[in-house]
Amino acid sequence: MEPLPRLGYGLGLRPIYYEEILSTLPAVDWFEIISENYMIPGGRPLAMLERVRRDYPIVMHGVSMSLASTDPLDFDYLAELKALAERMEPAWISDHVAWTGVHGLNLHDLLPIPYTREALAHVVERIKRVQDFLKRRLVVENASTYIAFKGAEMTEWEFVAEMAERADCLLLLDVNNVFVASFNHGFDANVYIDAVPAGRVAQFHMAGHTNKGTHRIDTHDQPICEEVWKLYGRARRHCGDVSAMIERDDNFPPFAELLAELQRMRDIDASLSAQASLGEPPRSAA
Amino acid sequence: MKLAELQALFQSAILAGDETDAQLIEEILPKADESRETLLGVYVNAYTLRLTEYLDEDYPALRAYLGEKEFRALVKAYIAANPSKFRNARWFSNPMPEFMQESAKWRAKRRAIGIAQFERALTDAFDAADASAASLEALASFPPEEWPELAFSFHPSLHLLQVAKGTLDAYVAATAEDEETRKRLAQIRATACEGTEAAAVWRAEGDLSYRGLEDDERLALNEAIAGKSFGEICQLVAFQDESQPAVERLAQFLVNWFSEGLVAGVAKATCD
Repeated sequence: MEPLPRLGYGLGLRPIYYEEILSTLPAVDWFEIISENYMIPGGRPLAMLERVRRDYPIVMHGVSMSLASTDPLDFDYLAELKALAERMEPAWISDHVAWTGVHGLNLHDLLPIPYTREALAHVVERIKRVQDFLKRRLVVENASTYIAFKGAEMTEWEFVAEMAERADCLLLLDVNNVFVASFNHGFDANVYIDAVPAGRVAQFHMAGHTNKGTHRIDTHDQPICEEVWKLYGRARRHCGDVSAMIERDDNFPPFAELLAELQRMRDIDASLSAQASLGEPPRSAA
Repeated sequence: MKLAELQALFQSAILAGDETDAQLIEEILPKADESRETLLGVYVNAYTLRLTEYLDEDYPALRAYLGEKEFRALVKAYIAANPSKFRNARWFSNPMPEFMQESAKWRAKRRAIGIAQFERALTDAFDAADASAASLEALASFPPEEWPELAFSFHPSLHLLQVAKGTLDAYVAATAEDEETRKRLAQIRATACEGTEAAAVWRAEGDLSYRGLEDDERLALNEAIAGKSFGEICQLVAFQDESQPAVERLAQFLVNWFSEGLVAGVAKATCD
């Protein structure tokens, strides 16, 4: 399979910003959509997406493939997803290491799994089947988690690395999710980042979260915090030139604030590149 | 514990709103500075909050009409009775009118059900399949003597509703931006709900539209949607307004349907 393109710096396409995006064509390299929001018969959302698509590359990011669910794969959903992909020609399709429900129900959340051999074999087999059906490599994201299970037989990063290798899929490294999980479960986020198979990372996610004191929740309704910016620098040094984007799903700020966060990402990367070309040992650029 | 068993247990706890399930708590790794119940509660609470948000977004007029306390009770009952079977959250709120109709607590609230039906139709029209509206010129291209043979197809977003009397007024008052109009909601709520009214909801040039229908127009539109020709509709529809010749009144309806973007196609009817 051909390597995925390097898209640069993107943002999540959200309805509140449609008009501004279409009227100003901002300096954003690409947009990521929530696939399910456009798996509808027609109307304004699809019309807006098609207009944005004329000027920007698009990536399709799903939230309900339920790769880790023990229910059968939902091929009706996958057929709809494939049809949308044929229409929008995204650079790639992504979803999560998570499950969203069993027994035919959907809880509309990305739910945690125990990092066991059984779960790993299950997820790997399903990613392979999805890739066969979609006829493309899937890009799979690490999810934020608030609980860990006693029965785990490996760390999350060991699970993700082996999953990617065995399923021959690509990875969407959500830097904020790594930070949130590291805080909630008491591990070193740097160890996670360093263990990610860099050659398989196709994309970064960056986002803000909510600090509840004893735990952090992946709310996508805050600016990116300093700890996550710092971790981003480490991820960038480890993974190199992969496409990156910022997710914002609530408490929407003026679009200019998201552009400013995107610029900060560019500045960090420029600083890292300059250091690398001067042969300096990389320092924290965030 | 096997993955399938763990997922069933986890889902049961979420659906039950129970972050204290002992068997599930036992599977969770303890955290030094926080209880496992609180951490599991993040998922339990998120489930209710998310589904509540979907219903709040899709039924703002119903919420205003019922008032906060009653709407919250409805939302709670709906979520408990309707765990989502949809990959796409867009469809979660759709069965609300049927839920109210089938519920002993809500079925007598006919106008509230009407508002729910109306708001559901708006949501459905919003992202219904696309189609180009047929222009008045398309109708005018047929000579008048051929009109009796014409049949029509309609925009996929078009919904005809028969709802409790006062539903549209209540919707307008509930969603009004000005205080004066909103005040009417209390008056409408206090008015006895007798009889029904008809409405059409559709999307024209990307924007949602709706209006009430008199009985004769509703009948005519129903027949036209069913594929009847203009001539057949003239024969079938009994017009109440006898001051105007039936054919002329029907022709005016037809012109309105075209100019308002309800019609997607017009052609001479084929004989089967």
